[in-house]
Amino acid sequence: MAKLHPQLEPFTASSDQPFDRVRAAHLLNRAAFGGSEEEIARVLALGPGRSIDWLLDFPDGASDLISATDQPDFSKIEGYPRSFADRRKMFEGKTAEERMLLQQQMNQANQQALRALGSWWVNRMASGPYPLHEKLTLFWHGHFTTSARDERSAWLMWNQNETWRAHAAGNFGKFVKAVSRDPAMLDYLNNQQNRKAKPNENYARELMELFTLGIGNYTENDIKEAARAFTGWAHDGEAFIYRKFDHDADNKTFFGITASLDGDDVVDLILRHKACAAYIASRLWRFFVNDEPDSAVIASLGEVLRESKYELRPMLRVLFTSRAFYDQKNIGAQIKSPVQLVVGTVRALGVQMPEVNRLNGVLEQMGQVPLMPPNVKGWPGGRMWINTSTMFVRYNTTLWLAGGESIATGRKLLDAGAKFRKAGPGIAVDADGASGELVDEWVARLIQRPIAEERRSVLIDAVGRKPTETTVRNMVNLILSMPEYQLC
Amino acid sequence: MSLSHTRRIFLQRGLTLVSAAVTVPTFIDSTVWAMADPLDTKRTQQDSGKDGKILVVVQLSGGNDGLNTVVPYADDEYQRLRPAIGKKEAEILKLNNYIGLNNQLAPMKELYDNGLVSVIQGVGYPNPNRSHFRSMDIWHSGIPEKEMTTNGWLGRYFDNTCQGTDPHAGIAIGDSSPLAMKGDRITPLSFERPENYRYNGKDAERYQQLNGGVGVSPTQNGMNDSRGQDAHATKSKIITPGSQLEFLTRTAMDAQVSSDRITNIVNTYQTAADYPRNQYGNGLKTIAAMIRGNLPTRVYYVSLGGFDTHANQAGRHDNLMRDFSQGVGAFWKDMKEQKNDQRVLMMCFSEFGRRVQQNASQGTDHGAAAPMFLVGPAIQKKAGIIGQHPSLTKLDQGDLMFNIDFRNVYATVLQDWMDTPSKPILGQQFKTMPIIRG
Repeated sequence: MAKLHPQLEPFTASSDQPFDRVRAAHLLNRAAFGGSEEEIARVLALGPGRSIDWLLDFPDGASDLISATDQPDFSKIEGYPRSFADRRKMFEGKTAEERMLLQQQMNQANQQALRALGSWWVNRMASGPYPLHEKLTLFWHGHFTTSARDERSAWLMWNQNETWRAHAAGNFGKFVKAVSRDPAMLDYLNNQQNRKAKPNENYARELMELFTLGIGNYTENDIKEAARAFTGWAHDGEAFIYRKFDHDADNKTFFGITASLDGDDVVDLILRHKACAAYIASRLWRFFVNDEPDSAVIASLGEVLRESKYELRPMLRVLFTSRAFYDQKNIGAQIKSPVQLVVGTVRALGVQMPEVNRLNGVLEQMGQVPLMPPNVKGWPGGRMWINTSTMFVRYNTTLWLAGGESIATGRKLLDAGAKFRKAGPGIAVDADGASGELVDEWVARLIQRPIAEERRSVLIDAVGRKPTETTVRNMVNLILSMPEYQLC
Repeated sequence: MSLSHTRRIFLQRGLTLVSAAVTVPTFIDSTVWAMADPLDTKRTQQDSGKDGKILVVVQLSGGNDGLNTVVPYADDEYQRLRPAIGKKEAEILKLNNYIGLNNQLAPMKELYDNGLVSVIQGVGYPNPNRSHFRSMDIWHSGIPEKEMTTNGWLGRYFDNTCQGTDPHAGIAIGDSSPLAMKGDRITPLSFERPENYRYNGKDAERYQQLNGGVGVSPTQNGMNDSRGQDAHATKSKIITPGSQLEFLTRTAMDAQVSSDRITNIVNTYQTAADYPRNQYGNGLKTIAAMIRGNLPTRVYYVSLGGFDTHANQAGRHDNLMRDFSQGVGAFWKDMKEQKNDQRVLMMCFSEFGRRVQQNASQGTDHGAAAPMFLVGPAIQKKAGIIGQHPSLTKLDQGDLMFNIDFRNVYATVLQDWMDTPSKPILGQQFKTMPIIRG
């Protein structure tokens, strides 16, 4: 077994690098959508190793394994089929014109269903039982991209979401093979049209360029041959089917191997490529740790993945317990994604998740609507989230979530139900000299890292010497409007 | 929200702007000094300043029915295939013996009669795509062959011609930033209305202290990035808590300066022109205000939606035509009034036209080729009608076939109006058309 890069060795607490509240909160900000007071306390008690074991302990399965009742609900959508069989019945015996009209109605109903699906997912991120599972699902959704634009079926998008859940921390090889059979993916990257008589290379190309290897690690010929291997892999509107007559069973030469290769064989060969593990490691690192991974660290992390035969959990454990992960320079150095910002704020303040249409409106302005990545590259993230327009939207959105101000001109918004305890946890309102402690409590709760003294003074000034609910609310709104709050 | 606090910092720190330890907004040059004296014309303007040319893009979203916009009233096929929704000869505003404008387009007709409009017929692209998203992406990216694009033709224009990352190069009015304007380096400013482009919190003073005013420079809060890099050196990205904080602060300051300026410009704008009272009309009015306000912006973008008229088209489409035209008319009235009309060119398009034959629901389905409009004093004398009207008998799956590739129009606008080579932006050299005055 290869020796771990020193930066990947487990973080061990010391007097100048304690495993303190800041680090506990950091773990929950990255491996989840921010931790509640209870969760932070729990992580502190468990320590880095057992914390990640706790976070990684979730079933590798569909959402109903976790909660049979917490499922997307399409039943209230008028004219939307409850199942694929329903859908077939609806279209039976209709004329071409009737079918066209019906399809149009269904497209509208489908848009509603997509919103219901998105809403369900975002609510799970905020209050589901396995936050790391949700966060990994989000990661894989941005990695194995498929977008719901263009009237893509809500059923198939849900089905795909479950594919992410079943494999999020499981075996990467199995995962890729499942992705290659996923109906929404087969549509999105045109493998549905990939047949022996007329091959379509789109899936094969993106599989290697974006999903497993990165540019420069394969030739155009490899793409051609891989495309041939995936011919006939299609779906019937509901599930994967193998169209034998569309499959090119002749010999193909891929990565130096010549045989009657099919899609699974191609995936096996890709996993044997020396660039694969490091590529996946690098993608996960950028999402969870830092935008600028060190190549030696990534190579080492890739080795971990390979040595565990592409089981993701061991690699994730190394990542989340490493010295690099807990390094000071990574704490508070990641710009929150729009989803992280919204979900994290809802969790931190204990407020209600907004209704889905408003939510999607602000998420779109911020550049990230779940189920709709802008293109097959997913969401680049990092500083790309930020420009002068999104800056205001991000600030105004958090204010809105806090129930403080309206995000649009003069429009009365639904009450986000923000309940601020009158003076912060455990502090009496009229206690003299309590302003500093009040500010510290709220900074600890929301920013979870120390802030500069001059900035703390501004907040103390805001809350005043005799705090009231109004001044406390103002102070909290100001904390939410600090650049520090945009980082985790 | 007043400028006073932000201005005070900049004016105080004036001489130390180049110092490494200070966080400053990126476009301080064109805006802060300009704000110091808005009438100071001695100040060297950027290319896109007072005398720079401006492009205003009007997008009709949903697939505008070109045949009921520029109507081939004299063609029997048109009447035959559109018994219920076809426009009758008596009502339309004739341009010649064959075509005329929809009767709701009176303001547009007036501009046409004054030589300010070019009607470009039969615009489309090979292998037309009838999906809203896909076709709109094609118009925005300018590269039909590329399935997935992350930037648009105007974005590439900004990347090629504008220094730095000033987002004011382009301003889009709407709820999201159009792909057309996205560059790799530059992202345009976008907002639904100017009132939304600002911080909504009540405590403006402290908000500004916390976003640029107080304690953010790396040396002060002890979060020095490892190489002690110049705060301005965004080129080498070293991601640390300190550098991220500076980046965010700088962006927030930029946004504040920008917001103050735009709010001021829009609030002080007076006009007698009658814009339609909707997002589109307000958008055009805001653009007119920003042009009046001498922003360095070269491209403005606004859309009017609702054109996907699959059913009961007649009344709806006429209303849209009325709104569209009223907005255009009001805008150009303002441009003339401001004496800014010579600097502006307007381009109107939709992601596809609609099928020739009406459908069973008194509407039309997604089509292909359709007309475009270019509007402004820059239109050449003989360019009133460009191109041939597509045949109504020789159709492609029931749809009009294009005669002019839309990229020829883009090339014309880029080269003849925006004075920039079009080949690097469009990937190939497309022939330009004699529409814009030399």
